[in-house]
Amino acid sequence: MRFPYGPAPLVILILAIVTGIGLAVWVPLSRPPGYKAPDLVLATFVSEQAEVYRAAIARFDEENHCTVQVELVDQKALQSRLQSALQVGADVPDMVELMYGTIGVFTKGPLEDVGFIDLTKRIKETGLSDQLVANRLSKWSSRGHVFALPHDVHPVMLVYRRDLAEQLGIDVNKLTTWDEFSRVGREVVKKSLRPDGIPGHYMIDLPTDGNDALILLLLQHGVTLFDANGHVAFDNEATLDVVCWYVQQVEGPGRISFPCGEGQNFDKAMIDGLCLFYFCPDWRSNQIQQEVPSLAGKLALMPLPAWEPGGIPTSTWGGCGLAFTKQCRNFDLAWKLAMYLYYDPAQLGPRFADTHILPPLKAAWGRPEFDQPSPFYSNISLGKAYSALAPLVPKEHDTAYNTLANAKLSEAFSYTSIYYKQHGNSGLREYARSELKRCADRVRLAMSRNVFLNSDSEQLPEASSK
Amino acid sequence: MSAGPLATASPKGFNTADLRGAGWRWRSRGAPYLFILPYLVLNLVFFLYPLIYATVLAFYQTNGPARRAFVGWGNFSYVVKDPDFHKALWNTTIFAVFSIGLQLPLSLGLAMLLNAKNDRLKSIFRLAIFAPNLVGQVFVGIIFSVLFAPHYGLLNRGLHELIGWGLEQQWLGDPKLVMPAIIIAAMWMYVGFNMIYFLAALQNVDQSLIEAARIDGAGPASIFWNVTVPAIAPVATFVVVTSTIGSYQLFELPYNLLQNNGGGYGPSNSGLTVVGYLYQNAFANGDLGTGAAVGWLLTFIILIISVIQIRIVGSVGSES
Repeated sequence: MRFPYGPAPLVILILAIVTGIGLAVWVPLSRPPGYKAPDLVLATFVSEQAEVYRAAIARFDEENHCTVQVELVDQKALQSRLQSALQVGADVPDMVELMYGTIGVFTKGPLEDVGFIDLTKRIKETGLSDQLVANRLSKWSSRGHVFALPHDVHPVMLVYRRDLAEQLGIDVNKLTTWDEFSRVGREVVKKSLRPDGIPGHYMIDLPTDGNDALILLLLQHGVTLFDANGHVAFDNEATLDVVCWYVQQVEGPGRISFPCGEGQNFDKAMIDGLCLFYFCPDWRSNQIQQEVPSLAGKLALMPLPAWEPGGIPTSTWGGCGLAFTKQCRNFDLAWKLAMYLYYDPAQLGPRFADTHILPPLKAAWGRPEFDQPSPFYSNISLGKAYSALAPLVPKEHDTAYNTLANAKLSEAFSYTSIYYKQHGNSGLREYARSELKRCADRVRLAMSRNVFLNSDSEQLPEASSK
Repeated sequence: MSAGPLATASPKGFNTADLRGAGWRWRSRGAPYLFILPYLVLNLVFFLYPLIYATVLAFYQTNGPARRAFVGWGNFSYVVKDPDFHKALWNTTIFAVFSIGLQLPLSLGLAMLLNAKNDRLKSIFRLAIFAPNLVGQVFVGIIFSVLFAPHYGLLNRGLHELIGWGLEQQWLGDPKLVMPAIIIAAMWMYVGFNMIYFLAALQNVDQSLIEAARIDGAGPASIFWNVTVPAIAPVATFVVVTSTIGSYQLFELPYNLLQNNGGGYGPSNSGLTVVGYLYQNAFANGDLGTGAAVGWLLTFIILIISVIQIRIVGSVGSES
């Protein structure tokens, strides 16, 4: 019998049938014998955390007679897929680790529309709010409601080339304010000028476009992009202080910084001693230790210089939090798992030794691992150093407009920087003030368009339910 | 002459036309539709439905699956008035102009060089010049973010060694240098790609016309303008139009180039493109309605520019 449409369509048809059957058979066969759908699925974007959780979960499964699956998904993919899935009501994991600065996108509308379970009551009932670093909950909250549990604190210190600082006669104990730091920095840069006019050493690693460094300095000075009510809050005198100071460190005759970037360039700059000081949240201390082992014993840590004598000597940079989706199949079990993975002191000690990430659970800081001196960092006890700063870590507030606010702050900073290059200090503060106001107003305008945020949209006549 | 193979007699003298019953008619008429059915279904599900939905979405603000609010032309008017959109459109247009103004002549020049002689190394050069296109914009973005790094980047090191300048030049940190950096990276990537089109067109130019022009005393420049250019005009039109469309869709390259340099779209949004602006609104800010409105505006912009280009290039070609 001949196929009426010729051999090519026949081959295509056969291929389609074979691959279709193959797929239908392969999926069930690819599962191990005795496969049972997991009771809980936890998605994370941090590979190190996924490894730690997978190792710890076997005991949890055994004790609770359940199966927990940990999925590792790229951060951007996780966020966009989660957003899309929540948007269309598709399947989502029971628990999701979110990156800092992203929760605002999910809490954009009325509270009852947020795709995550409101944890406020549970946190109060269990007394967790008293056991954790209080300021870390604000990062995962919206309008006073907590939607995720903080995984970390991420206090920021300065890591510095102790050997070079000693050679150059820098007394780090005297670097208590940023103004003093800047003054010493100018001397260092001047002294190290090479014949081609390029400094051999810069005082500190600062990106020229502000970015995370500017944000953490603003936080240290008490400035948040948004206040606790979600209103734009970065066009004020404190922001001006920081922006004007920062501009003078990255541009012009008093420049003391170099943008070392990330990855290999950052490592090379450290090894070469191109910059002497670098911002160092707890997570970065481990990264540096892994990536530049040749600097063992040559580095040390110190608190941030303050904005005024006796001011706050730290800030915060980064973080992730654990949210429970409203589709979570067993919230009590998921909560138990969260307590086990996030706030079990017995696990947090060894985990700190591995990752250097300080947990927000204050009780854990008494574990012996937190007292261990680190030979890599000139025998400083990282646990003691970071935990001493943890209670001082400033509050942060996230909204859906974080990215826009960051971009606008960066824009105001860039224009101020250009102005400083052209005009110097003359009129700098006034110019920066007007730029900050313009950029903050732009964020306000975008926020004012949010019909869901600006009123109880369920009462809006024009808001129709799909 | 017979009406066709089906009407001809079989070798045994049996007329196949006798088989034409209702079943055969259905099969012969229905078969094409059956074969294009998978494509149609996929097209409906993954193209037409999203297209219609995006049109609807452009007039709404959404928040989660349960809520949306009609805002009329609000999304469009917001975007049109937004200085960031103006900046993105300006940046993208600058990129498109330089892409066409620099990349295409370079591509044509390289194609002519490779077409000139039967050099043994021709295929190696062709592959080498085309190869950057194989790696994709994400990879190119990451590679160039390393090459452009101040102090340690290959470009700055090279400049410093050669002319004693540029060691600390911040290609991705200076608003004036961000767009040139993107154009350089894009040029490295796409010159070879466009060269392949031009090379194919040049290989199809009728050699007898060139010979005739030469016999008539035409010089190389005259042959190029009067014979080669008209002959490759259709391909040139295609390359110009696709390059322009591609330029206005630029996203991955600046995104990766600048995100790996600390995030954002460069100082003062100097690397923000229209699609970057769309992404920022739709996904970073979670405003899908505004994102859809930007998408439609971009479609209209590309459509208008493409029509103008086709008319201009077409008329130049026909005049030649």
